[in-house]
Amino acid sequence: MTGKNGPMTALRAPFTTLALRRLVFCVAGVVGAVAVLAVPALIPSAAALILQVTGAFDEEPAPVVAPVFLVLFPLTLVALAFLAAPLGRAMGTAQRALADRLLGERVEPAVPRPGWRAVGYSLLKIPLAIPQGYGAFCYVFGVVNLSYPVWWPLFRNHPPGTTLEPVRALTPFGFLEAQTFSRTFVIAAAGLAMLLIAPWLMRAGTVLDVASMRWLLGPRGLDERLRRLQAGRAQAIDDAAAMMRRLERDLHDGAQIRLATLAMNLGMATEKLGTDGPAPDLAQARELVALAHQGAKDALAELRDLVRGIHPPVLDNGLADALTTLATGSAIPVSVRVGLPDRPAPAIETIAYFCAAELLANAAKHSRAQRITLAVNGTADHLTLTTTDDGTGGADANGPGLSGLARRIAVVDGTMQVSSPVGGPTRIVIELPTHV
Amino acid sequence: MRVVIAEDAAMMREGLVRLLTDRGFDVSAAVADAEALRSAIEADPPDVAIIDIRMPPTHTDEGLRAAIDIRRDHPTVGVLVFSQYVETRYATRLLADRPTGVGYLLKDRVADVADFVDALTRVASGGTALDPEVVGHLMRAGRDTAGLASLTPREREVLALMAEGRSNAGIAAALVITPGVVEKHVANIFAKLGLPASDTDNRRVLAVLRHVSG
Repeated sequence: MTGKNGPMTALRAPFTTLALRRLVFCVAGVVGAVAVLAVPALIPSAAALILQVTGAFDEEPAPVVAPVFLVLFPLTLVALAFLAAPLGRAMGTAQRALADRLLGERVEPAVPRPGWRAVGYSLLKIPLAIPQGYGAFCYVFGVVNLSYPVWWPLFRNHPPGTTLEPVRALTPFGFLEAQTFSRTFVIAAAGLAMLLIAPWLMRAGTVLDVASMRWLLGPRGLDERLRRLQAGRAQAIDDAAAMMRRLERDLHDGAQIRLATLAMNLGMATEKLGTDGPAPDLAQARELVALAHQGAKDALAELRDLVRGIHPPVLDNGLADALTTLATGSAIPVSVRVGLPDRPAPAIETIAYFCAAELLANAAKHSRAQRITLAVNGTADHLTLTTTDDGTGGADANGPGLSGLARRIAVVDGTMQVSSPVGGPTRIVIELPTHV
Repeated sequence: MRVVIAEDAAMMREGLVRLLTDRGFDVSAAVADAEALRSAIEADPPDVAIIDIRMPPTHTDEGLRAAIDIRRDHPTVGVLVFSQYVETRYATRLLADRPTGVGYLLKDRVADVADFVDALTRVASGGTALDPEVVGHLMRAGRDTAGLASLTPREREVLALMAEGRSNAGIAAALVITPGVVEKHVANIFAKLGLPASDTDNRRVLAVLRHVSG
């Protein structure tokens, strides 16, 4: 229900799609409650049916009835003990799906899956069915009662003098009877009242139901925390493995190849120089040694880059120095401000550094900005890293780059907010705890 | 002698072309991936192919798979597999059907040009060249530890060189002893390990490898 609170809202309430969705949910709730009530009665009813069909009930006195029920009662109890949890879970799953589809209320499944809590929810369906049932009843019969004056002339067109039974209309407080056309307006008024009260009853029924779902079927506080920690741990393990693979690949395709080639060139040069006496091919040997020399310098440069990518040595001096150094390597001018009362944990400094590096790289690639501001502020407990650029905006927080960053931050319970309207500016705020 | 080179790192590939051309080999093709290697071998089978194990597109073992296919489809082409690390599993896959005209060397071995060229020539003419690293792994992981323990240190050295695929003359040169002494050591080794004596180098490598790696 949108809009201002007021009489119009109350009048419109029955005619919104939300009311119809709630109606379906409430009817399903009543059906569910009936099913819950019916389950314990299934075996005895089946037995009663069999006795009825075989004619055992017709004998006087019915001789087999008592022993049959003596067996059936414990059997029902045993069956319920075994079936209660699966049935409760099935009920819970169905109701969660309904709440999701009809009401847009997502209740995450609990881990581990609920047992007796689901049974508890199923039992709660019975009292929950009271507001739901009344709500659905008032809604449907409100419409029906409201329509009495409309169809009255169609059906009450008998010849004068015919004696007719009064027309009856169902309300929550019993039957209303109408013998005359004017009386149908009383019924219509009752219908209108029912129609107006129905949304509130249905709302109460659905809200209470969803609350019970969250309480009994959804993940509990600790479960939820556990789930987040498990996801974070999986992320950390994946990241570590990916990091090792990247490192292996970089070494294998880079420094290792350079060194192998260098060794090959030196090997060839050695041959060209000969073992003793004058060199057989001094010119070629010189060229090969020059090649090897260049190769050694290239290998060193490559290793230096690799080492900086693993852990920038300047980070040992603190985030301020490291970020300033990082900023000098950026293609877009970056102004850096760092104000921290204490040094955060080394792991947090590393994460903050690589976040900043990634954000600067992103800005350089996509933003077309003229200036970037990089600010780190913090308290004893929290650190805030803010990057702002005056570029074209439109950064997608759900894109692979930023969402990957968000996942890595989440490992240490950090958060990220992205504000990047099309046309800019882009502002990304990362909050990290100062200690893991 | 005609050689095809398959190596994805351009620097290494060019270095090898230079080295082999300088040593009088005829490099008929130098390619960067397994597909190009297969076509080059189909078009004009060389005497020997030098194949990097890890090449595009997946950078896993496409070179090894190509090498095994080439050994099956072109028995006359020697295959020298060339890698930055040695995997015993790869060696056994490569040697699975026959240990002739095949080699498996660390890339580091190009630094000793003469040894490398010797190994390549051996593979091209149907011999074997296994990296000492591979042989070491196989012997350490081997099943007949009791048999190996009964060998003298010198005999173990000779066994390792035999497993690398070297001839008696090659072993003699490497250990700086006379070929006669090598023959005596070889006879002792075969007797101690209970292997049937065989005259050709290839059958000898096979027997030794089967013995140490099971």
